[in-house]
Amino acid sequence: MSLAVMVFVLFAVLLIGLLSWALRPAKRWSNPAQDVFKLLSQPRHCMHIPHILHALQPEDTEFLKEDGQTELMHAVRRQRRRIALEYLNQLQEEFEMLLEVSRALAVMAPEVVTMQEMERWKLSLGFALNCTLLRLRLRCGLQPLEGFHLLSGMAIDMLRNLDAATSRIAEVAVGGVGLPGGGANESSDH
Amino acid sequence: MFDSASLQAGAWVTTTSLEVVLLALLVRRKAIPNYPFFTAYLVTAILQSVAIAMLRRATGMDKYVHWDLSWGTQAVVSIMRSLALVEVIRKVLAAYVGIWALAKRLLVPLGLAVLGYVLLFSHGMTEWVILNAVRGFELASAAVIVAMLLFARFYQLPLRRLPRALAVGFCLYSAVFVIDYSLLEKTVQQYGDLWNFLGIVTYMASLLVWIRAASQYLPAEDEVRTATIPPELYGKLSSEANLRLHLLNRHLMKLLHAEDRRP
Repeated sequence: MSLAVMVFVLFAVLLIGLLSWALRPAKRWSNPAQDVFKLLSQPRHCMHIPHILHALQPEDTEFLKEDGQTELMHAVRRQRRRIALEYLNQLQEEFEMLLEVSRALAVMAPEVVTMQEMERWKLSLGFALNCTLLRLRLRCGLQPLEGFHLLSGMAIDMLRNLDAATSRIAEVAVGGVGLPGGGANESSDH
Repeated sequence: MFDSASLQAGAWVTTTSLEVVLLALLVRRKAIPNYPFFTAYLVTAILQSVAIAMLRRATGMDKYVHWDLSWGTQAVVSIMRSLALVEVIRKVLAAYVGIWALAKRLLVPLGLAVLGYVLLFSHGMTEWVILNAVRGFELASAAVIVAMLLFARFYQLPLRRLPRALAVGFCLYSAVFVIDYSLLEKTVQQYGDLWNFLGIVTYMASLLVWIRAASQYLPAEDEVRTATIPPELYGKLSSEANLRLHLLNRHLMKLLHAEDRRP
């Protein structure tokens, strides 16, 4: 059997496997709207950012060097870098949660929210990739400046998308007409 | 013991009978206006079976002419099936504007890429080019269906019984066809009857899945009911989402400037 034929067979078998996986009942939201609201109302890890930022300032540990405690200074900086890494994980989780909210909004209000799912997929992949790079840089003790630039840009893009979507929802809500299921149809396939 | 020809003829008759039962169910359950392309596909498949059987009986053509005629008319059936497939995908995804736009941008290139790959790497004899094209088409169809179902799962979209059954039936038939054909490619003439029989059995299984779903079909199922947000939550959601994103962004900017200041 040639390699190409083997690939065809394996691909077909893989497709059957994926088919049975895709048909398994997914975890369903009991009340999607309430769940989305609950997700948005949860306390955010990023509320602790001032502490993280303060801890990352080199001058915050500089006094240890002046006191001749260079080893201790390095140990403290290492520990703080570890905390920054943990913070980065939380930031990523938060971004993913916002993606989840956007996804839920795309399903709950399809007539109102013409969301750019492709853009969001790209953003999500890019964010995950940059978080990984940033993590690596932090672990190697390198300057992760470029990574934070990118992450910030992505968050701005994400913000713009969700902002437009939620504003549109709010507009419709204020107008009191055309809520999903209420006959609004401003959607387009393009 | 049955010989392979009578076994195959029996399977052929059973398949056509199942197709007729399914068509009758679609009529009885008033599913035809909602599934016109699937109905057309079914009618085409029935006509193909009947026409070939009648020609064979009337003219007494040999099995090779029968083979050529079957594969020649299969192109029409395949086109109808791809239209039915698009119809099923539309049923599942088209109500969700953003998701549908993304799906279109991913599923079409995915299907074309798989088809292209199969045609490129099928080093068969030139007379098998139609079969290779059919294999490519089947693999592409299965890939597109699986991708569509993964989309539905990812977005937690409601999957109604009939479109789900149609997707499963199409996918299973296509995937088994590819396995069947790829494994028996070199010996397809030697084991032609077995190959044909395996294909018919898979198709029969798909038909039974469709019949089961069609027998429970209600036209009201096709009215898309999205999980809507209660109006009182809209304002809250909007402001909450914006606030969270502004906060996240502000914090990222702070972090960025903090890094700027690092030696």
